[in-house]
Amino acid sequence: MSIEAVTTALTTALAHGGEPRAGGTDVMARRGVGRATGPFVDLGVVPGMRGIEWRPDGSVRIAAMTTVAEVAVELRDAYPALAATAGALATPQIRAVATIGGNLLQRNRCWYYRNPAFSCFQSGGDGCPAREGDHLYSVVIDESPCVAPHPSSMAVALLACDAKVEVHGRDAVPVAELYSDDPSHDHQLAAGEVLLAVVLPPPFATEHGSYHRAIARAHAEWPLVEAVARLELDQDGVITAAGVAVGGVARTPLRLPEVEAALVGAHADEDTLVAAARLAEQRCTPLPGTKYKVTLLVDTVLEVLARASGVPCDIRDHARRAD
Amino acid sequence: MSEPSIGITVNGTEHQVSTDPDRPAVDVIRDELGLTGTKLVCGAGVCGACTLQLDGTPVASCLLPAAALAGKSVTTVEGLAHPVQRAIAAHDGLQCGYCTPGFVVEGAAFVDTWRAEHGDVAPSREEIAAALAGHLCRCGAYDGIYDAIAAACTGAHDTVEADDSRPPRVEAMEKVTGRARYTTDVQLPDQLDGAIVRSASAHALVRSVKAPADTVLVDLLGADRVVRYLGQPIAAVAAATRAQAAELAQQVVVEYERRPAAVDVEHAQAPGAPVIYPTKPERKAAPNSGEGVPVLPTSWRGNVRGPSSMSWRSRTAVKRIEEAKGRNDSKLFSATFTTPVQVHTCLEPHGCVAAWQPDGSLVLHMSTQAVGEVAERAAKRWQLGEGQVRVVAEHVGGGFGAKTGLTVEAIAAVELAKAHGVPVRVVFDRSEELTTTGYRPGTHTEVQLLADDEGELAALTMDTHGDGGVAIGSGVAALGRLVYGTAPRRLRDFDVITNQSPGSPFRGPGGPPMAWAVERSVDEMAVRLGEDPIALRRRWDGNKKRHALYDWASGLPVWADRPAPGAQTGRFRRGVGVAAGNWMYFLDPGTTVELEVVDGVVVARNTVQDIGTGIRSVITGVLRDELGLPADRVRVEIGRTTAAHGPTSGGSRTTTSVAPAVHDAARLLRKELGVERGSIVDRLDQANGLRVRGKRHRDRRGYLTPFAMNGVAVGRGMSGAVHVTEVEVDTRLGKTRVTRVWAGIAAGRVYNERLAYSQCAGSIIQGVGFALHEQRHLDPATGVVLTDNLEDYRIPGIGDTPEIEVHFHQDGWDHVTGGGIGLGELATLGVAASIGNAVRNATGWSPLDLPIRPDRLLEGIHA
Repeated sequence: MSIEAVTTALTTALAHGGEPRAGGTDVMARRGVGRATGPFVDLGVVPGMRGIEWRPDGSVRIAAMTTVAEVAVELRDAYPALAATAGALATPQIRAVATIGGNLLQRNRCWYYRNPAFSCFQSGGDGCPAREGDHLYSVVIDESPCVAPHPSSMAVALLACDAKVEVHGRDAVPVAELYSDDPSHDHQLAAGEVLLAVVLPPPFATEHGSYHRAIARAHAEWPLVEAVARLELDQDGVITAAGVAVGGVARTPLRLPEVEAALVGAHADEDTLVAAARLAEQRCTPLPGTKYKVTLLVDTVLEVLARASGVPCDIRDHARRAD
Repeated sequence: MSEPSIGITVNGTEHQVSTDPDRPAVDVIRDELGLTGTKLVCGAGVCGACTLQLDGTPVASCLLPAAALAGKSVTTVEGLAHPVQRAIAAHDGLQCGYCTPGFVVEGAAFVDTWRAEHGDVAPSREEIAAALAGHLCRCGAYDGIYDAIAAACTGAHDTVEADDSRPPRVEAMEKVTGRARYTTDVQLPDQLDGAIVRSASAHALVRSVKAPADTVLVDLLGADRVVRYLGQPIAAVAAATRAQAAELAQQVVVEYERRPAAVDVEHAQAPGAPVIYPTKPERKAAPNSGEGVPVLPTSWRGNVRGPSSMSWRSRTAVKRIEEAKGRNDSKLFSATFTTPVQVHTCLEPHGCVAAWQPDGSLVLHMSTQAVGEVAERAAKRWQLGEGQVRVVAEHVGGGFGAKTGLTVEAIAAVELAKAHGVPVRVVFDRSEELTTTGYRPGTHTEVQLLADDEGELAALTMDTHGDGGVAIGSGVAALGRLVYGTAPRRLRDFDVITNQSPGSPFRGPGGPPMAWAVERSVDEMAVRLGEDPIALRRRWDGNKKRHALYDWASGLPVWADRPAPGAQTGRFRRGVGVAAGNWMYFLDPGTTVELEVVDGVVVARNTVQDIGTGIRSVITGVLRDELGLPADRVRVEIGRTTAAHGPTSGGSRTTTSVAPAVHDAARLLRKELGVERGSIVDRLDQANGLRVRGKRHRDRRGYLTPFAMNGVAVGRGMSGAVHVTEVEVDTRLGKTRVTRVWAGIAAGRVYNERLAYSQCAGSIIQGVGFALHEQRHLDPATGVVLTDNLEDYRIPGIGDTPEIEVHFHQDGWDHVTGGGIGLGELATLGVAASIGNAVRNATGWSPLDLPIRPDRLLEGIHA
């Protein structure tokens, strides 16, 4: 089936409350709790929607239906932070089916949105029961009437990679433009628009990358906070380029240019990394139940900076002291 | 609308299936193709019980649309013949077996891939944990699974082993091949599926219930027509499929006269709170969350019931504590400890298939811990005579206390079957399971613990408020009567009634919260006295069996090497903690076991059910040992109503009730055959039809209770446990990892060491969940349970499993017939407290609230 035929089918489906379906792991979970009713239009039928294309200029195009598991393996050398992110999310069975496009456009995991007993901005209502309710896992950077953190880990990594997305019928747009503080949507594609691919610019000359998700159990938990760091280091250990982004903290995945600015040009040592990580704190406007995420955000950023740069930062207890 | 046809190759056979393409693939595999080895548990891609191989790759079939199967090759557990199956059986990497097919399907793919890439070498624990991160096992069989996967990767199970190395769990091969049938797998001719209409109001009088025309509606409300919690069963309906039944249930219109609700303990105790049980008859009818022990009457104030007191010289205790306060005595420790609501989370949901027979009798296939009790109560309820109710529970996918009695799924199934004239199945979905089927009540305990100048225990007070929803009977402080000698103590239990579903017994009811409060407090006292925490317990605790365990524990290298309390400053801090536990000895003294020789095989019959604890294997083992029989000459028929009375699998009473009766029956069979010693195998062919009935002989000096109540007697003596636990705390990111646990267990003779070990390991893993991860969350405004799925209700995974060692101290139970008592509850009591004490040892911060979540840890250590 051609992409045009799919978009036509999608237009019909949308008129009946339907939506597109990629790997289906989010759609089917929502179907189970009454947050997706169909009809569904499967995108897997479109030719060319899956696969990774390395381009002569060093950039790479990942078709939207490429699975998260494929990204974790195929991009390990070129984009270690992105591959590590792909390898750490959900479970092996989910990664085998979930796609990079679907991951970017999935709905949030707020336990109010996913419970049919509640109505909220995300389900067509006009309030946020989580704000006054139990919001232990909600945002710490409170800039939207909805307090559900954005669920896409891949988006965090792609932000740090300066990636763009190709959307059928329009020019490529930066990943950041997929998202906004809009309380009623988890992404900004218009109804019926289809994400075709993700395009990554060439990696740094010496790409060092790391991903970490702060969770309580060993595996398979939505992040309390997650962070991605990409660093380019010269022979003297000076940071020459940086990409730092975080998730689990705000309505959208966030790039942290202030942290990057504090890193670029500096020697990668403990003091530099700690000082840079601490800048993340300034964005925080915690809810009563998410104060813990302020220090957790700083420390998760420090964790990925330390691992990406190879500078151990485990000896001193930095983040909370005002020294 | 006709449904499209999908071509699939399943286990090598091509099928054309007409189905809604959006249906989850698991439904197609189970319901259309009848391959019930694949289990549906979470429906959210979390637990992996539904894992299939799709063109060789494991996927979660609950999140896979049927459309995605088209043109693919599917392998289910039934289609595998793989060394990993023998490995899991050999290493006892299973208990109830409900999650096992998922582990097998994933494990087979992992082992093959691993060996292709790395050769026949064992992966590390971390590699195995990462590969199996998409699977959950509530019994906690992870320890055996690690060993099994590692062994399978080395090629150790490539060939079929000889008879004498049969798996320790006799039904293991049925479970690893998907052949084992659970209640959810039962499909009778003409069977309908039922669904429950549940309350959408937390507190209301139900004025009317109206169903669409021609719908059979079964009433499930009590006589007072009042619903007191969200999700309370109101009625039931049935249809051809579960989805249709659920849709029909949605169409039932309930008219409520709403009453003000108090949805949590805060609301319920606030001034002017609506009173949930305003009258005496309502209070009397309240369900009980305790373990079958009747509660004594006590007073009520609004929604607070109590105190129920188990005090001993309480005035002296209070006087001593008041005096200590007056002099600011540093040997008085006071604190408030809390524990969350913990939900059983059996992977097999509650379910029952009811089938009325042409002769008017009733057959119930039911996922239950209480085959005998269910049959008795069903006979009473539907006025059937002896032998007119048969209950079948061949395999049960976990219980942990949640599956006792004649529960609502059975009542609904029986009534619907009666009304429709065909068999009806009622199986709960995961949300129903996590919100309405019981839980360990939450607790709030104020403790005061006083030591005198000699460092002896001088006084103890405990006031516990239990959070068991509409249920009464939280008994936590009462258990403080059974520990640390006879020093004066005031022990008071209160129930705070809320508009929440009722709590219920859960593995050692009251025990883990009591240990959390008392064992944490004893450790704090050890810090104040500057004394080794094991030495202090040894001094305070008069129990000889536990003395042996204290000696064992203090000799462990990890104890000798434990860090000084709070001395570490780095990011990662290691800590070692200890906690003691003890538990009562329950048994069912009326247990009998029938043996019959059938075609050269000794068949053992008893009504007991195997919920994963391994009683089928214990019976087999005793018979083989006693009678000198090879495995193929013994068959155990349990999990069904028989004339041989068997215990409910609760209160750790199964093995100590059944095994001695098996011994007795074996003795009688020998006598009948005239074989004094050696194998009886040569005599079996001439003994067809020979039957004997063995009984559970009385213990020396009898029991503490003069007669059994509800099939329970309390025997003499207390079992004992000591847990030593090592943790690693990441003080930066707030993560606590339990790295190693040593469990010393004093419960007398161990009938089957491998299975007893598995029980203890599972108890430890559930304790890790209670300590670090599990918590029911409620919306404070409406009382809606937010953790109604396995993503948000967090049970431990394989990567959260510590390395475990279990030491059995088997002396001291000579007065007990058979010499051994139960340990399934004992082994979980002190786990969370030992973890808390280890965190205290590592960080210097004293945790008071469970679970020790990252946010609490970070707040605590940086306060």
